[in-house]
Amino acid sequence: MGLKNFEGADEEFNLEQMEAETEEMLRMRFLSDTNAKFERTAGGFVSLDIPEGEDGKAEHYDRVRVVRSFPFTAPNTYISIRTTEEKSKEIGIIRDIAKDVSKETRKMLEEQMSLRYFTPVITKINDIKEEYGHAYWDVVTTEGPCKFVIYMNSSSVVSLTDVRLMISDLDGNRFEIPDYTQLSAGELKKLDLFL
Amino acid sequence: MGKKNRKISEEPTKATGKLPKEIEVDLRDRGVSEADVYVCVRTDMDLTCAFTPGYIVMTKNRLITATADPLSGEVHYFKGMETRKTRKIAADREWRFAEFDISDVKKTYIERTVSGGFLILVHKDKDDPEADGAAETVAAVSNHCMSSATKIERLCEKLAEGKEIDDEAMEDDEEEEYCPVCGMMYPDSDRKICPKCMNKKSIFRRTIGYLKPYKGRITVMFLCYLATAALNIVWPYLNGVVLYKKVLGRDENFLSFLSVDGNRYVTILLLLVLTMVMTKLTMQLVGILQGVMTAKIVPRVVKSMRNDVFGAMGKLSINFFTSKQTGSLMTRVMSDSDEVSGFFIDGLPYFLINVFSIIAMAVVMFTLSWPLAVVALMFMPITFFVSWKMLPRLWHRYGRRHRATRSLNSKIHDNLSGARVVKAFGQEGSEVKRFDKSNEKVRSADLAVMNYDNKFSALYSAAENLASLMVYIVGAYLILIQKRFDYAILITFAGYVGQLTGPMDFMSFFFRWFTSCMNSAQRMFEIIDAVPEIAEKENAVSLDTINGTIEMKDVTFGYEKNKPVLKNINMKVEGGHMLGIVGRSGAGKTTIVNLISRLYDPQEGTVTLDGVNLKDLSFKTLRGNVAMVSQETYMFMGTVAENIAYAKKDASRAEIIRAAVLASAHDFICRMPDGYDTIIGSSGRELSGGERQRISIARAILANPKILILDEATAAVDTETEQAIQQSINMLIKGRTTISIAHRLSTLRDADTLIVIDEGKIAEQGTHEELIAKKGVYYKLKELQTKALALKGIE
Repeated sequence: MGLKNFEGADEEFNLEQMEAETEEMLRMRFLSDTNAKFERTAGGFVSLDIPEGEDGKAEHYDRVRVVRSFPFTAPNTYISIRTTEEKSKEIGIIRDIAKDVSKETRKMLEEQMSLRYFTPVITKINDIKEEYGHAYWDVVTTEGPCKFVIYMNSSSVVSLTDVRLMISDLDGNRFEIPDYTQLSAGELKKLDLFL
Repeated sequence: MGKKNRKISEEPTKATGKLPKEIEVDLRDRGVSEADVYVCVRTDMDLTCAFTPGYIVMTKNRLITATADPLSGEVHYFKGMETRKTRKIAADREWRFAEFDISDVKKTYIERTVSGGFLILVHKDKDDPEADGAAETVAAVSNHCMSSATKIERLCEKLAEGKEIDDEAMEDDEEEEYCPVCGMMYPDSDRKICPKCMNKKSIFRRTIGYLKPYKGRITVMFLCYLATAALNIVWPYLNGVVLYKKVLGRDENFLSFLSVDGNRYVTILLLLVLTMVMTKLTMQLVGILQGVMTAKIVPRVVKSMRNDVFGAMGKLSINFFTSKQTGSLMTRVMSDSDEVSGFFIDGLPYFLINVFSIIAMAVVMFTLSWPLAVVALMFMPITFFVSWKMLPRLWHRYGRRHRATRSLNSKIHDNLSGARVVKAFGQEGSEVKRFDKSNEKVRSADLAVMNYDNKFSALYSAAENLASLMVYIVGAYLILIQKRFDYAILITFAGYVGQLTGPMDFMSFFFRWFTSCMNSAQRMFEIIDAVPEIAEKENAVSLDTINGTIEMKDVTFGYEKNKPVLKNINMKVEGGHMLGIVGRSGAGKTTIVNLISRLYDPQEGTVTLDGVNLKDLSFKTLRGNVAMVSQETYMFMGTVAENIAYAKKDASRAEIIRAAVLASAHDFICRMPDGYDTIIGSSGRELSGGERQRISIARAILANPKILILDEATAAVDTETEQAIQQSINMLIKGRTTISIAHRLSTLRDADTLIVIDEGKIAEQGTHEELIAKKGVYYKLKELQTKALALKGIE
């Protein structure tokens, strides 16, 4: 790329470093038990050590963020391990937590994910009332009875699959119905407005 | 829920503020007194994300959290459902406490999850105060209580920066507001409408209000309906009793009543036929008249309703249009006005007429023969019941078909607008499959409608036919066996039975119509009633001449509450100067511009123009002095000249041409066959990106604003066009306060000040030279653009 022409022209401006940064952004690194070690920390987080990271240097992260790439369709594969700051960067990807990491690590990561993707599952619909552009829901969930309100529009109730629904309330709190065909006829009737 | 041994106080729990009673004693035991407490906020989860009541108490050097298991069957309330009384104060909750030292806090942040977040506290490292030390999770909240977590985060941040926590910081945030009637939290705190309490009666009355100007016409219509009903009652009587009994039966009384003797029988018959023809004719005429009236009133009422809705929409803040709920609302509102006026003009009078008809027919039938009347009317409750039971389900299926069709239509729309992509990737086949899936849904919904509809009509007509059959049977029995009456009355009766079905049908359907109309009206009034968030103050300040000095002080703003896009922005542009804003995409550049043009108000801090807070400034002063040229160029339907003169309708032709010349648009406009009269906009001639850009610059030139905002004005055009546009812009910015956002730094060469925005904060500020000397972000960007591009021989 003719880099040489530029060397010495401007010492403060390090094009090489900049290109390295760009390259880093485009890189993909897969993590597994062989190259990464996850551990629980005192504050309830998970730390990560990569003994031989880029250029053979050891990397250590106090806390990592565990993010699903396909939270709805493939929750156990392509888990992105990221840094925790606001502009979080990817440290690496675990291709399949069922295969690539030990049972303990898997448990640790799943705990983290269950908190991040915490979504009460609706088990019973007591009532849904539509009033003035809003729908008032009275339901029983796996987390206890809940009452919440959604806007009457298509983005409040989303079909993830033919039978699976995700509901977001006014604040964006999520609720899930894994299979609406399992609901009773009476409940379905209340829900019919959104199907 | 009413478990024994529990005292439930009706005292409302405040979201923030002094210590809640239920944990007061426990906190005292922990050495916390009211005076120590900065704030106490509510939480709604424990650290495992289980829904639990809870608090975070912040004192000078610690955070204390309290959570307790929910009572058995305790309902968890979210926004919109919560009332002041839903949070149960129970004496026997087992509170669990946790304490966190914040005397050495380095930073706090909120780790966001899909529907909430964790408040995380990072301590200073003992050895190296610059480095992060141990971290702890303090509390978890759902989005419902997110403001609690952000408040603690903000206060801790202040502590970490070594700032004092003053009363202002501790002050309660705006508390969620509750409906005064039912006590329920407003679903949208910016629009104080309680959906539950919206008075149905008042909706009805307000809708009637739209009909008032047409009182006269509506009376005529009503009379038409009445006449139709009356003639409907007369017709079977003429057809049956009068024809068969009086005339064909040569009823002496009747004939002498008409003062003709029996010999001129044919005349009478002709007379009767004539009357019958006249009756039918009148019925037709009345029908036509009523149709004309309807046609005259409905469109006008619809028009005025739509105007109101559209007018209200215009007043609404930009936020309303971008907020999640509007999309479908708008289109629905347009058809809603149809539905509402249709109901009031067609449905309501017809309802009254039908009630009248049914009663009148029943009376006539009973006077003719009560046994037959009983037989005929016996089926009325049955048909009514059948309709009542079945129609809602039918409507339900209609609704589903409607939704399926709508989704199919939007799929088609989606597909057509993406035709280029579909073709480019050769995905026509899979698109057909996707279409087929939606189409299948429509088909099955359609089938469901048909099935039910058939069942419905079959049952319905069975009931109706049975009624007339019974009338004939009983009638025949009465005539033949009992010889109680004659054929004429039977014919009359059969006529009435046939006519009863119409009103019956209507009645069963009317109630459903009424509900759906009220729903439509509700949606409409929701828009009309919506209170704009950005409103002009009552005694707003108007400035005749402005200097154009813009200042932002401690501005914090986020499109969604609790998610700040801009944090603590301070900057100033002197009148007539140019400010350049640089930063990567998503950094918050456009947001700054949105605040300056007051499309939004900042959540904290102030934006001032010549020292006057924008909130106090009249719209006329503000909008009249600010013009924007942005990357999105919007062309209205109309001629080129109209588009240029958009902000100054009375501009002369000379002025328009002058503006176009300055925007280097004159040449290409004159090359078009219709010149300045070329129709552009959605249905008109297609303009290229550069052409549109130049027209919008001409628009800004003609508006002659004191403050000019250029938001990536040249980002969408090629380099050559950019050069031309740049020249026009250089003409344009003379003597104005200019705020320019650009990716290409070369565009900002002439800026008096530059600010670099990064992650919602001002990273650097200064002149071009100062920033270059600083060798920071700006320098890096500049080098990247000049050298790295030069390297590849691009510039």
